[in-house]
Amino acid sequence: MIAEPRHIVPPGMLDANLRVRGRVPYAIDVVLPGMLHAKLLRSPYAHARIVSVDATRARALPGVHAVLTGPDLAARDDIFPYFGPIFRDQAVLAIDKVRFVGDPVAAVAAIDIDVAQAALDLINVEYDELPAVFNVDEALEPGAPIVHDEPRRLGQTFADIIVRAEADTNVCNHFKLRKGDVERGFAEADHVFEDVFTSPPVQHVPMETHNCVATIEAGIIRVTTATQMPFAVRASLAEIFKVSQAKVRVTTPTLGGGYGAKTYTKVEPVAALLAQATGRPVKIHLTREEEFVTITKHGVKIQMKTGVTKDGRIVARKSTCLFNTGAYADIGPRLIKNGGYATGGPHYIPNVWVDSYAVYTNLPPAGAFRGYGVSQAAWAYETQMDMIAAKLGWDALEFRMKNLLEDGQSVMTGEDMFDAHFKELLTTATARIGWDPAEEPRRNGSKVRAKGFACIIKGTVTPSTSTAAAKLNEDGSLQILSSAVEMGQGAETALSVLAAEGLDLELGQVSISRPDTDVTPYDQGTSSSRNTHSMGTAVGMAVADIRRQLLALAAEQLEVDPADLELVAGRVQARGAPSTSIAYGDLVRASRSGNLLANSVYASKGGLDPETGQGIGSVHWHQAAAAVEVEVDLATGKIDLLRYHAGVYAGRIVNPVQAELQTEGNIAFGLGQALFEEMVFDGGQLQNGNLGDYMIASIEDMPQEISLGILEHLESNDIHGIGETSLPPAMPAIGNAVFRATGVRITDLPITPEKVLRGLRARAVEESAE
Amino acid sequence: MRGSLVFYHPTTLQEAIGLLGEHGEEAKVVAGSTALTILMRQRLIAPSVLVSIGAIPGLDGIEERDGAIRIGAMVRHRDVELSELVRARVPVLAETFGVVANVRVRNAATVGGVLAESDYASDPPAVFVALDAEIEVRGPGGERTIPARDFFVAFYETALEPNEIVTAIRIPIPVTGSGTAYHKFVSRSSEDRPCVGVAALVHLASDGTCADLRVAVGAAAETPQRFPNVEALAVGQTLTPELTGRIGDAYADAIDTLDDMRGSAWYRTEMVRVWVGRAIETATDAAADRSAPG
Ligand SMILES: Cc1cc2nc3c(=O)[nH]c(=O)nc-3n(C[C@H](O)[C@H](O)[C@H](O)COP(=O)(O)OP(=O)(O)OC[C@H]3O[C@@H](n4cnc5c(N)ncnc54)[C@H](O)[C@@H]3O)c2cc1C
Repeated sequence: MIAEPRHIVPPGMLDANLRVRGRVPYAIDVVLPGMLHAKLLRSPYAHARIVSVDATRARALPGVHAVLTGPDLAARDDIFPYFGPIFRDQAVLAIDKVRFVGDPVAAVAAIDIDVAQAALDLINVEYDELPAVFNVDEALEPGAPIVHDEPRRLGQTFADIIVRAEADTNVCNHFKLRKGDVERGFAEADHVFEDVFTSPPVQHVPMETHNCVATIEAGIIRVTTATQMPFAVRASLAEIFKVSQAKVRVTTPTLGGGYGAKTYTKVEPVAALLAQATGRPVKIHLTREEEFVTITKHGVKIQMKTGVTKDGRIVARKSTCLFNTGAYADIGPRLIKNGGYATGGPHYIPNVWVDSYAVYTNLPPAGAFRGYGVSQAAWAYETQMDMIAAKLGWDALEFRMKNLLEDGQSVMTGEDMFDAHFKELLTTATARIGWDPAEEPRRNGSKVRAKGFACIIKGTVTPSTSTAAAKLNEDGSLQILSSAVEMGQGAETALSVLAAEGLDLELGQVSISRPDTDVTPYDQGTSSSRNTHSMGTAVGMAVADIRRQLLALAAEQLEVDPADLELVAGRVQARGAPSTSIAYGDLVRASRSGNLLANSVYASKGGLDPETGQGIGSVHWHQAAAAVEVEVDLATGKIDLLRYHAGVYAGRIVNPVQAELQTEGNIAFGLGQALFEEMVFDGGQLQNGNLGDYMIASIEDMPQEISLGILEHLESNDIHGIGETSLPPAMPAIGNAVFRATGVRITDLPITPEKVLRGLRARAVEESAE
Repeated sequence: MRGSLVFYHPTTLQEAIGLLGEHGEEAKVVAGSTALTILMRQRLIAPSVLVSIGAIPGLDGIEERDGAIRIGAMVRHRDVELSELVRARVPVLAETFGVVANVRVRNAATVGGVLAESDYASDPPAVFVALDAEIEVRGPGGERTIPARDFFVAFYETALEPNEIVTAIRIPIPVTGSGTAYHKFVSRSSEDRPCVGVAALVHLASDGTCADLRVAVGAAAETPQRFPNVEALAVGQTLTPELTGRIGDAYADAIDTLDDMRGSAWYRTEMVRVWVGRAIETATDAAADRSAPG
């Protein structure tokens, strides 16, 4: 019997001190001899045919080393100038057409940014403007301008996605879910509700914008880039340059935030093509304005129809989700699956029907964003849950409690729920803010206070693969080779803890590598709140292998049966006889293998049936609840957050400090999106693409009182992702509280003071008419 | 091209004015550069000559003189916010500078900068207008003084003549028995610029009636808005909620509000109505506190 491993509780992020002192290098800090700087010329039109691009004058400007244009790239047959994780629909530089304001059409590499910028002004592009579409309804109308009229270039697709693109339409992909018999469900229902909910596009606003440095040396394409997915970038560069993946090397230092923006290929291809053209290292570093049009969160319109019985059970739900995926698909075709099935919510509903669409428009591309489609879905179902309770005069909490999933009930994708903690999370959350269904909103002058809550379910990417390697050195220290990306979330600390525990080492005796595709083994990517679970499991497996090797070696050296040995503080010792022991380092030396090596593969299983969306949606289900007390100024519509409780299920909490920080980060993201975040477009032109005009939450916007409930159940022996989980309930919880305070129901995010005031005025008119 | 940018650091006003004259349209004054850098980076302006006024002595003082507080053009927002003198004599000014942006911006942005920029969505201008401040400027033709209410002309446009530099602002210290207030209303993040900002001064006579009322509304239109004819409704009257409400309504009616991402014209009008009333109430309370015996 192996004793329960001791749990290490780290003091927070291991390199926090270095980070706050600016001693941690980021990709933007890379400076190479002879390095050039790249700038992109971007389209001023939302949709236009490129008639001609003339870069003659730019090329002649002193200090300019290369200018690339779309037509240049299209004319070459040594490259394949397209990328995109599912469809290869995005040209490195626009070929034939531009599809959004900001679409790159030409690239310059010059001795400095100013020269590169000046060269852009010397490039003449002649456009022939085309009619454009910006919202999903327009885009789906018959006769609408078609954003991608070329045949779909499908790449090697993901195991978990089914592509159902409709040619000659703007439908980029369609996900279907059919559980039970939805029409029979509605027939059984005593009440049926149908509502529309919308969420606007928003920006991730990572502090570090997209950037990379590319070189081509001795036939090896080398890129140091701020990406959450080094292996996806490698695959994409190999495809573009038509070389084997072994000829591409991607390294990734720590990121200055990702939030999904840095998944898949972004600026790497253009930098590598410029490096190839110039024979020099080329750096590209997007401005904040460029970041705003590089990738966004999907704006979504969800039509949701829900049937309930008079005793409060949900019997059927049908939703149509229109995700505005912008001009290029990015990961939209897969995100609509997660966002689509998520509309089933954390409730047991026997009959569910979902049609979820990714729709092309002439807006900047939308892709992964912390919450991955689930925020938009949760905004719809948790708002509607409250609307139903209000209309039928039910206690909103009791209505939830009747329907929240329990172990053994089938989730929307058909598999049985296990390790369910929704009820516990919501009970705690509502108790912490003193929820009482009988409590009336409290009025003080023009201000009124009330409470609201929400509870959500989120899947994590399934199936998915993480691999790791472990090396135990001759001094007994442990190195983990992993491609987990550190982006401030504490990946390195969490993996250090898990590795150290496996061999009973101190944290200081363990190192975790940074991703380097030449050296570190494959990982699918640091996204989807999966790293601590997925890479953590892989690391645990590799370390367990080292442990077996140590036990076998020690059994030989100490002449003790392996079953009677234990690992204690860097030594293998006979159980109950600490004097019979040997240090790991001595075992490594005795083995004469230089180091002990182990490799591991963790591949989760699952996937959904293409026709029914039934199968294994997620390897386990992430769960969260939020409860909030707001104060609304009835004279202005302005909302203040007084108290906020965030509850999330963690399975095991590996790093308490960072689990709390991730959860607080989700509150900040959530309240910003609830109250004011929104990318505003006019004719496809972004109106607030900088941080003076686009607002994110500041520390002063945080709720006056925050409580966190990070739920641990060690007996489940599982680690649940918490990086995104507590974000989606924020918006509906706040909206529900605002409704209770004011009687104004907002169904289109954000809940601005102006919308609330208009709602209050409309109510006043209605009341006086009565 | 930005490469050809020349940066001057004159040490006298004379020299600075000379440089501006010499380079004409190509030249820009630089103070804290919080606004200028953004405009240049967004390529909305592309000056080839920058004239810093940071090395000119005498532009960075705060002093009391002839019943007014005089603040030099290069004084930082943060210094106004923390100045003991300002807090004692014109507390509303310290409060207003304290609600601008965040501490990073306040540590760089200057008083001359916020005046010369004339951004409709800045906080201090409404207070300057309400308090009848006067702006001292110096140009090729010598010195002159411009009342704050005449200084802000339109969007990003002031009464400054070409080659004139703001050197200081004088804010008369409100008479004893008066109370002041500035309410900044933000409709998005707490660090946003105002959706509307209202500055008010109320002077109460010994019988509790209003001897003087001044109200200026910022961020609602191109320039700070003040209506003496509406202010006059209060004189000799007791400031009842009914009366402040009427004054709020009159301001709401009088201002042709603008429309931006912080609120539509309709919403701004409603906010003017609410915040004019609230600012008068706060100022009245402050006046009552100050005139209360003890
Ligand atoms: C993130 C951010 C948030 C902000 N939020 C707010 C807010 O909430 N409320 C608010 O009121 N303001 C806000 N501001 C505006 C800020 O206060 C102004 O940018 C600042 O006041 C400008 O001062 P400066 O010294 O930096 O001017 P500069 O940028 O140096 O100059 C601004 C303009 O004035 C001219 N100029 C400067 N000094 C003089 C002078 N003495 N004589 C003649 N011309 C001169 C310059 O040529 C230039 O055209 C914000 C700014 C930022 C960047």
